[in-house]
Amino acid sequence: MRIGIKYCGGCNESYRRDRIEEVLKREFKDFQFSYSNCADLLICISGCKKGCSAEKASGNLIHFDEWVGEERIIKDVKAKLSELLRS
Amino acid sequence: MRKNFHLIAKSAQDINTSRGVFHGDSIMMNGKQYIESLRKLKPRIYFMGKRIESVADDPMLAPHVNAAAMTYELAFDPRYEDIMTATSHLTGEKINRFTHIHQSTEDLVKKVRMLRLLGQKTGSCFQRCVGCDAINALYITSYEIDKKYGTDYHERVREYVKYVQKNDLMAAGAMTDVKGDRSKRPGQQLDKDLYLRVVEKREDGIVVRGAKAHITGAVNSHEIIAMPTRALEADEKDYAVAFAVPVDAEGITMIFGRQTNDTRRLDGDIDCGNAKYATVGGEALIIFDDVFVPWERVFMCGEYEFASQLVEVFATFHRQNYGGCKVGVADVLIGATANIAEMQGIAKASHVIDKITEMIHLAETCWCCSLACSYEGYRTPSGAYMPNPLLANVTKLNITRFPYEWSRIAQDITGGIVITLPSEKDYRNPATRALIEKYLKGVAEVPTEHRMRMIRLVENLSIGAELPESMHGAGSPQAQKIMIARRSNLEMKKELAKVIAGIKPDEHFRKIRGVSEEEFFARFR
Repeated sequence: MRIGIKYCGGCNESYRRDRIEEVLKREFKDFQFSYSNCADLLICISGCKKGCSAEKASGNLIHFDEWVGEERIIKDVKAKLSELLRS
Repeated sequence: MRKNFHLIAKSAQDINTSRGVFHGDSIMMNGKQYIESLRKLKPRIYFMGKRIESVADDPMLAPHVNAAAMTYELAFDPRYEDIMTATSHLTGEKINRFTHIHQSTEDLVKKVRMLRLLGQKTGSCFQRCVGCDAINALYITSYEIDKKYGTDYHERVREYVKYVQKNDLMAAGAMTDVKGDRSKRPGQQLDKDLYLRVVEKREDGIVVRGAKAHITGAVNSHEIIAMPTRALEADEKDYAVAFAVPVDAEGITMIFGRQTNDTRRLDGDIDCGNAKYATVGGEALIIFDDVFVPWERVFMCGEYEFASQLVEVFATFHRQNYGGCKVGVADVLIGATANIAEMQGIAKASHVIDKITEMIHLAETCWCCSLACSYEGYRTPSGAYMPNPLLANVTKLNITRFPYEWSRIAQDITGGIVITLPSEKDYRNPATRALIEKYLKGVAEVPTEHRMRMIRLVENLSIGAELPESMHGAGSPQAQKIMIARRSNLEMKKELAKVIAGIKPDEHFRKIRGVSEEEFFARFR
């Protein structure tokens, strides 16, 4: 399964956005990551609540616009992946 | 104790009946109807040692009433309809935008466009934004409280907003407590009433006691919406209270504040500078002396951990405004200054052109800030939109500074006459009129009276209450500094600097040059 990562411009990021990517790549080693929209699951990472990274995104996606903690990131992605595998 | 609570609803129905003739099934009031609606209320207001009998008719309050009336009147002007009105997401009806819950960033932008327009039309504060910000802040925060506690505050807020929209009410947003000893928290004050608090909980509602200070437009509003003023802790639950009451609810007393030169309103229309719409909003101290609030009008009661969120959301909305309204007022001051330059024959001097351009630059910078925080706004879980908090605070912080500078330039160009001009009474006195006409003449084609009126307008807008209002309205500068510091990511900026300075690796450099930074610069060492 392919996981796409899409960042916003980060003009005024309220947290270090690439921490989310670090967590994903560490926890979901078996998945193929790319910075492409052509993916089974798209992870949109925005630096603030404006949420630019998800503005034009569609399909299967998870949007992070604040640092929610490693546990929550892993939980949300696992839940979405399970949902996708079931469907 | 509750006898006055439904007075507004009854009044509004009466108004509805009469205005059907003019506006079909519109639920909005026009300016005249708004003023008429105030005559049906009986708030307890004191000013200069006397009780105010009629808010709508008292000469000291009338200009503030007129400014607020403009928010109603322009909603019926087809030229401004798109900016001044909105469609309620709750009822689908056309409403005055001041009663709207913002549903998009476009709504946020239209709000600041509306504020600039009203600043231009009144040259003053029209007061109604505070209530608009209060309902939006409560709409957003009550949703969060309910999510955590399973309470029904959000539904109460929605019902209240419908009531405000249906009756086109003006609500005063009351946040600032009187605070007493600022080194002590609410619960540590010797007098516990120095922060508004719940003193009794009953089956049918709560009883509150305390006071709110500097409340804009309070005397000529229909409703008061009270909110906490600061972050609170677990032992301060009684202070975590938000609610709405009619202005004439039993137990409410208002003491209207003085302004510089305010009694000039009793001396004619020239000396005021802006006799029709006054200066800033007209602020009052509101005392809540054991005021009963029924549960359906209570929007927070004890959820202390949401007090800071409510304050922050409200402050974000209110700080967004200032690059709208104050820039509208600045447009009037810039125009007045340019008129003065022409009337005094200095309009073509290069330094005057440069200074007026500087005023425009300062004003438009603030406008950019208001637009930016609106366009960068976002949808909250409640569905309502709010502006970008960082940029809204930057907007307001600029307003604590730039109006001082554009006012300084206005005074510079106007000259010393801005504080030495003879009074209207001397101008009207046959013994001195001809002397004033002759010796205060500027260029030949402009009547002396016009020059006098323009000088007084510059005085009104650049001296007096306008400047401290820019400083402290929507929070004093340090409040914005705290928010800016909290909301900007200094660590990120430090990392950026380390990469540029060559302390940390630059992930893009190798791709650009095909070699590492070290290899690249080794060639030049």
